[in-house]
Amino acid sequence: MSLLAQSMRQVLRHTTQRATLNGAMRALSINQKLQQQNKPATIDVAAIAKEHQQECQTVCERINQQVAKSEQGRLFAVVHLCGKQFKVTPGDIILVEGYWPPTTGDEISLDKVLLAGARDFTLIGRPMLDAGLVMVKATIIEKTLTHTKTHFKKKRRKQYMRINFQRSPNTMIRINSIELTRPLDGMAEAEAEHSIRLF
Amino acid sequence: MVFLNIPLLVRARGPDEFWRKRRIFKLAAHYRSRTRNVYSFAIRSVHRALAYATTGRKLKKLDMAQLWTTRVEAGCQQYGVALDTFKEGLARSDIQLNKKMLSDLAIWEPRSFEALVNISRERAAVEGLPDIKRRSAFNQVYGLSNLKLD
Repeated sequence: MSLLAQSMRQVLRHTTQRATLNGAMRALSINQKLQQQNKPATIDVAAIAKEHQQECQTVCERINQQVAKSEQGRLFAVVHLCGKQFKVTPGDIILVEGYWPPTTGDEISLDKVLLAGARDFTLIGRPMLDAGLVMVKATIIEKTLTHTKTHFKKKRRKQYMRINFQRSPNTMIRINSIELTRPLDGMAEAEAEHSIRLF
Repeated sequence: MVFLNIPLLVRARGPDEFWRKRRIFKLAAHYRSRTRNVYSFAIRSVHRALAYATTGRKLKKLDMAQLWTTRVEAGCQQYGVALDTFKEGLARSDIQLNKKMLSDLAIWEPRSFEALVNISRERAAVEGLPDIKRRSAFNQVYGLSNLKLD
């Protein structure tokens, strides 16, 4: 049954069927072949599993071919950073609000990648992609404070008035590169879940 | 200034009147009519404005959350899936993208969003969520609906 999960994880869009919306949806549909079977009684689970396995393999192969020829174009990724999620692509600058230890000039890699994609495929993590599958490199370019925010409270006719001023730290990060480090294989990923990971 | 006792300390009103008023007038410089020029009007509107700004910072976050929900809902409607079903399907598939990301994907990465909708719909069908009319092939075999896909 994990095969269905794997095919969910990697959905390649069939470029040939992209002409119509209907075609695109049919191409994307995971249980494409299952829908065509009209007789529920004759469904063979093993056959379904095998079909899924093959479909998963072909999808992975097609992604790998595209990446090998570097035709995939610019990758984007959804990363989890400081409790927030950012959709980033190389060259982006993102702003982290609040206290965050790294200092200016630090080069970091953003490891919590929830989703990565390009023009013709999307890798969806559950909840995260495998460690090291997608490398998102970033540089911290600036650490500043926000503008002064005035925190003002007043109640009428109650002699109550409070005013405070606050500035919180802001960090700017530039995304240098997003790369697929190794070829995909539908099989290995399910077992790799057990690797030692701190988060 | 020497404060020999408490009443004198209370009575001392800080900076000179001119500077005290100037601070308020600077904030009211772009107001219209007498709220700009008359101190008693100016201070009233400045106080109100500052209080609005304070609450507005919180409201902005709520507004954005609402906007994202609307956008994700609209994205789901394209594919005929209700928002609740979509979110439930994603949660059960252990996909933890937040509302902001889903709305961004719906706008800028429509094909990725479509893939997410398909995953969610399939999961909803397999788990038999009430909103999905079409049963999954897995449900057509007796007992398979009880299987956990992992």
